[in-house]
Amino acid sequence: MTRRAAPKDLAERVLAGPVIWIGLVLLTAFALGPFVWMFLTSLKDRQELYATPLQYLPVHPTFENYVDAWTSPVTPFSRFFLNSLWVCSVTMVATTVVSVLAGYAIARFRFAGRDALLLIFLATQMFPSVLLIAPLLTQWRTLGLIDTYQALIYSNFSFTVPFTVWMMVGYFSSIPRDLEESAMIDGCNHFGALCRIVLPLAAPGIAATAIFAFVVSWSELLFAISFTTETSMRTLSAGLLYMVGQYEVQWGQLSAGVILSTVPVAVLFSFLQRHLTHGLTAGAVKG
Amino acid sequence: MTTLTVAKPRTRPLISWRVRKLLIGYSYLVPAALCMLATVVVPILLAIKMSLYADILYKPQDYRFIGLGNYLRLVEDPVFWLTLRNSVVWVFGSVLLQFLLGFAAALLLQQAFTGRALVRTLTLLPWIIPGVVVGLIWEWLYQPNYGVINDLLIRVGLMQERVAWLSSPDLAMAAVVFTNVWRGIPFFAIMLLAGLQAVPDELYEAAHVDGAGVFARFWHITLPLLRPIIVVATATRIIWTFNYADLIFVMTGGGPANATQITSTYTLLQAYSSLDFGYAGALSVVLLLVMLAFTWLYLRTTKGLEDTE
Repeated sequence: MTRRAAPKDLAERVLAGPVIWIGLVLLTAFALGPFVWMFLTSLKDRQELYATPLQYLPVHPTFENYVDAWTSPVTPFSRFFLNSLWVCSVTMVATTVVSVLAGYAIARFRFAGRDALLLIFLATQMFPSVLLIAPLLTQWRTLGLIDTYQALIYSNFSFTVPFTVWMMVGYFSSIPRDLEESAMIDGCNHFGALCRIVLPLAAPGIAATAIFAFVVSWSELLFAISFTTETSMRTLSAGLLYMVGQYEVQWGQLSAGVILSTVPVAVLFSFLQRHLTHGLTAGAVKG
Repeated sequence: MTTLTVAKPRTRPLISWRVRKLLIGYSYLVPAALCMLATVVVPILLAIKMSLYADILYKPQDYRFIGLGNYLRLVEDPVFWLTLRNSVVWVFGSVLLQFLLGFAAALLLQQAFTGRALVRTLTLLPWIIPGVVVGLIWEWLYQPNYGVINDLLIRVGLMQERVAWLSSPDLAMAAVVFTNVWRGIPFFAIMLLAGLQAVPDELYEAAHVDGAGVFARFWHITLPLLRPIIVVATATRIIWTFNYADLIFVMTGGGPANATQITSTYTLLQAYSSLDFGYAGALSVVLLLVMLAFTWLYLRTTKGLEDTE
């Protein structure tokens, strides 16, 4: 690239040099500091944890907190983890199937009420989930679904489906129709064309959407605490809150739990960088 | 007549192709429609119905229709008005700071430097982790005796003695807003970064050649071009923050003495702790109306933006 003709003024030189570096260091430190502190906490034993004056670095780092949290009989973290894994996986698969179909229909068929439908899906993304707690609780009680995975999975649809549909419509609209049309001339029906032509082309977008659905379900807290009463049915978020509810907060175990529940979403999200802005504007991640 | 039946009529499908295509389209929508019906539409109608009844879960004998009784209670409830005021502080404090710091972060992350991709991913962390995790991390940081925030501030000399951030009525709101700011910066950073990358370099270069300084370029090129994305991001953020209950629920439960009680946490507590579904229903309807008003305003503004372009 050729250098610009005009000389840099003073403000520009100061901004381009020290200000940027100081800013970047501050930004990274601010974003990561709390995690670092939580990680250090999780490696401390009881004595180091409650030392006065505060002991910043663990002198005898130990993974005991992780083992304790994972195997604790009172707050069985391994169980919470598996519950979350199951609820989020099923939510993810079901949401993806439902939204692929709906997204395809909205992107390809012209029908009455199409715009209204899109608007409804958009508006629902803005929806306060606290609003749904009382009525859904009543609904699941009537159906005998309290303390079941189904109640949590169905409730998750209320926030996953609207944004995944919205995202799918976007992906499908960007795929040219010609391919499907020629496939249909060759004797494929709509469903065949969808499966053989459209899905493979939209696969990266669908995968991203599925991961989004998984990650937002992973964060869900209010439904999980409202529709389960047994410890063995708690998801990670609900379980972490339950750990605080015990008569003495075990910060060592809790910090280990916090780190353990952060890792999966952090790993999944790093795959999503490219799709992030699209997901954001679709309202994928709340809060 | 008999002659006509000899010539076999051309077989016409029972349903015409056009109608059939339409039916296929609708059938693809059925699962999604059922999901929304069962988890959003019916519950909303149920919430509206609940708001008209005295409906406390552990007092089934008192269950009866009371018309607008719950709404009258709402108008006379000083806590409700307090939550509206708190919501305003919570929403505008959070969103304004998130926007300003997020914009600064976006400008920083737009620069070319080694390890930019890694830094971008890392600075995103606060925003992708579950709300309950954010709440717990900061509860530990704010902890009066063993929290690192008190310790650091005392070491630096900014404070003389330890402060109970989350249990003092004067500081609790600031403390939860600060936590929410920490969490929301990446949202604005990513959105605005996408906007910044869409601004063509030639514009800056031309302005530079014409002698525009760095601030002038920011004011006359960056800001106007980012306006649509700023409006969209801010509007959605305002709505989400207004509705967002997890963080405050985890950190303070709305306390101390309702100092951090916002309308959404108040609704949550009525449904979750008090099991007063009638009152929670009335609060839900209020939340719904506020949300609809915001969305309407938002759609009008974005439509206005499209029209001017």
